Amino acid sequence: MEIIERLSAGDPEKKKYYIKLFLDTLEPELVNLKNADVSAEQEPIRAILHKLKSQVQTIGARDAHAAMADQEQRIKGGGRIDQSELDETCRLLSDLIENLQELLK
Amino acid sequence: MSKHLKVALVDDDIPNTEVLRDFLIRNGYSHVDKYHDGESFVESLDRFDERAVVLDFDLSGGGEMNGLEVLEAIRERSPSTHVIFFSGQDSLEVAVEALKNGADDYIVKSNAAFALVKTSLDKVYDIQILRTNEKRSQRMSLLFAVLWMASMAAAAFFATS
Repeated sequence: MEIIERLSAGDPEKKKYYIKLFLDTLEPELVNLKNADVSAEQEPIRAILHKLKSQVQTIGARDAHAAMADQEQRIKGGGRIDQSELDETCRLLSDLIENLQELLK
Repeated sequence: MSKHLKVALVDDDIPNTEVLRDFLIRNGYSHVDKYHDGESFVESLDRFDERAVVLDFDLSGGGEMNGLEVLEAIRERSPSTHVIFFSGQDSLEVAVEALKNGADDYIVKSNAAFALVKTSLDKVYDIQILRTNEKRSQRMSLLFAVLWMASMAAAAFFATS
């Protein structure tokens, strides 16, 4: 959140604007990740992880970023991720979304 | 101080592009355009007067073109434009491919990435200032030479008349 804090420079409305921007992407992509089928072709999962990875990094969610980067890399290298790993990423993302939603209140 | 360097951000990542744009504006870059797919940016190349482009590799969330294809279009139509590849792909092959195809810089998206983009743009801006000063200096030298020749011609004319 450091960059967002710095750019909003104490302006709570500006900060909310940035948070809303990120939530607009994170919320639908969390639904997509939850609905993803790990037993099928995992390229769509990799594409979502790739998209979200940079965003969670900007927000400063290190655990979520590390999990996404690791899983994206594995799929890209021809490997696969299992359901429990995807569930864990969804949980981290869900926590992050909840925290961001709290900041909007 | 406002830096007069037109910058285009081409990235399908909407929130990060917005944050990067605001970050650059905060750091003096007053003219920063955003494009969320390669196609709309390439279309704009005909009226293109940006001097630097920050270009994502994976633009699949926005359109069909990827960053390398956009880079090819830039090199064909606007070869002097400075292209900074800005990618979430921490891959040596992609970096080599981008640089081989004419990218001027390659920055991996990370915590420090926005600052690195600014540093890269600052270098482009400094070069632009140096070139402008160089052109101005050349024009002044030419003007001085013309004035000197004119004064010599006038002196010769008056000496003979």
